Amino acid sequence: MNIYQPHLMRIREITDETVDTRTLKLEFEDSGLAGQFQFYAGQFGEYSVFGEGESTFCIASPPTRSGYIECSFKATGKVTQALRRLNVGDTVGFRGPYGNHFPLEEMKGHSIVFIAGGIGLAPVRAVIWNVLDLRDQFKDVTIIYGARSVGDLVYKRELEEWGQRKDIKLCLAVDPGGETPEWKGMVARIPTAVEQTVTTAEGNFAVICGPPIMIKFTLPVLEKLGFPGDRIYTTLENRMKCGIGKCGRCNIGPTYVCKDGPVFTATQMRKLPQEF
Amino acid sequence: MTHKYLSHQGLAALVAELLSAGTRVIAPVRAKDDAGQIDYQLIASYEEAALGVRLPRRSLKEFFLPPTEVLLSYKQTKAGVEITDVPTVAPPQVILGAIPCDVAGLAVVDKVMNWDYRDELWFGRRDATTIVNLLCNIMDATCFCTAVGLGPESFTGSDVMLAPVEGGYLAYLITERGEALLKGHGEEAAADAIAHAEAARKEVRGKVEPNLAAVPAEFSTWLASNFDNPLWKTIALRCHGCGACAAVCPTCHCFDIVDEHISADEGVRRRNWDSCQTSLFTLHASGHNPRGSQSERFRQRIQHKFAIYPSRFGDLLCTGCGRCSRACPGGMDLPTIVSELVALSEAKPEVSGQ
Repeated sequence: MNIYQPHLMRIREITDETVDTRTLKLEFEDSGLAGQFQFYAGQFGEYSVFGEGESTFCIASPPTRSGYIECSFKATGKVTQALRRLNVGDTVGFRGPYGNHFPLEEMKGHSIVFIAGGIGLAPVRAVIWNVLDLRDQFKDVTIIYGARSVGDLVYKRELEEWGQRKDIKLCLAVDPGGETPEWKGMVARIPTAVEQTVTTAEGNFAVICGPPIMIKFTLPVLEKLGFPGDRIYTTLENRMKCGIGKCGRCNIGPTYVCKDGPVFTATQMRKLPQEF
Repeated sequence: MTHKYLSHQGLAALVAELLSAGTRVIAPVRAKDDAGQIDYQLIASYEEAALGVRLPRRSLKEFFLPPTEVLLSYKQTKAGVEITDVPTVAPPQVILGAIPCDVAGLAVVDKVMNWDYRDELWFGRRDATTIVNLLCNIMDATCFCTAVGLGPESFTGSDVMLAPVEGGYLAYLITERGEALLKGHGEEAAADAIAHAEAARKEVRGKVEPNLAAVPAEFSTWLASNFDNPLWKTIALRCHGCGACAAVCPTCHCFDIVDEHISADEGVRRRNWDSCQTSLFTLHASGHNPRGSQSERFRQRIQHKFAIYPSRFGDLLCTGCGRCSRACPGGMDLPTIVSELVALSEAKPEVSGQ
């Protein structure tokens, strides 16, 4: 078996998040492997539809829930459109886990602010559930999540659950014009939502993921609040083929997203050449 | 290091013995479509080999990383998907009369292929191969191996080096694998044959050295800190983005992975050569492209070869074979570009009028 050969996984559940975004719950065909498989929040894999090819996404489920993994994707390219045509019981390929991960051990004992935009919630969700499954080991949990419109919010059933929990401060926001008459959350862009929700950076970690434009305008807000650059974590995506440092396409200057990332601090991000 | 003397007949006998034992032998031969050109190819007899004639059109890369290769085959059944492995153990082969820069290229690429995850397909072929290179005396004005830390006499990556002497070759037995190959072949080398070969090894360097001065160690650091230098915008203007440079390069190893149907239910996953010079290489499905212009793609090529790879693995990702310059339809000449960049990196900063 060579390093490019995927494990076989079966689709156990399909959840439509939005009109074009879908979550698959996958289980290893080989039950022995299912027991051995370990990963950390923030790692990614190469998911494949046989006959169509491979595509790179994060593992969107937390390592605290074993026996399965979840991935969320938007039907955009050849592989993601093919993934969308599959049904429960169908087989997909998976290679991974690859890359580094969020520093959960370091975050223990601290408060965490999670900030996500659109499908950027997928990698953040893995950390959120990881933290919630070990809730007593962390201090305050704040989740700020926004999308262009109400229809673009993903993991709606979980947003509802988080909103009901007393041990989470949840702030939902949609862009101006994206609200519905029933919308009870904020109508604001993420940087504004962060400004209005987060009051202190003291001892906090921030985990942020979303479109580049969101990250660009949110980082100054976090820095103004006093978050040091090495306590702000984000995860980058770039086109990959191998996922293991050989195919030569995900590097940003000397930094390989697949090997050095995908998780980077804001300090590390600022040092990267502007080529992403 | 030990030496042996191998006559032309002795080398022919060695090749005949290898072939009869079923070992694949690859050597430079006259190209089928153009007798003036040389290709590395499987040979069926020693007489086919054209050793030391001129630089082969393509490097040795294709014998270790084929232009296209199957990574796995799959079959959809009612019960699910069945995957069939491809073997990672390769049949034994000997490369005879390889050019030192091509052999060095393999040793350089070994490092990325073994970066935490070992590429068994690459190493399966590497482990099955014994390499006999030939002291290079076929350099031209585009060669610059001595500028990148190698040379026409370089042993890097080779098991045996042959240096022409009267009546045959002096064989330098570089590795144990090389000694094993020549076990039972050749004779004790006379002192004057060794002296003659050593003199030739010194002499050949002088034929390449004037082409390009040695790339200074600080060049990598300068490149890394000049990622945003405006020079990248103009330097690539003649680059068409065709990727010919990567195809002929002994060290360019970037690849694509694609699936290919054979029938509705069956197919293969393939690894194909790719090049960072094409616009599709980094294009996201969303339409975003981190390297959207040719200047950014050419910057990637130069940075990868002279800054990124050395910072990761210690070696330049270039062996100075000059094939990219010969293949380029736009006249992008790597030694010229490198020498201009090096000159820029060594230029004293202008003293600002206080």
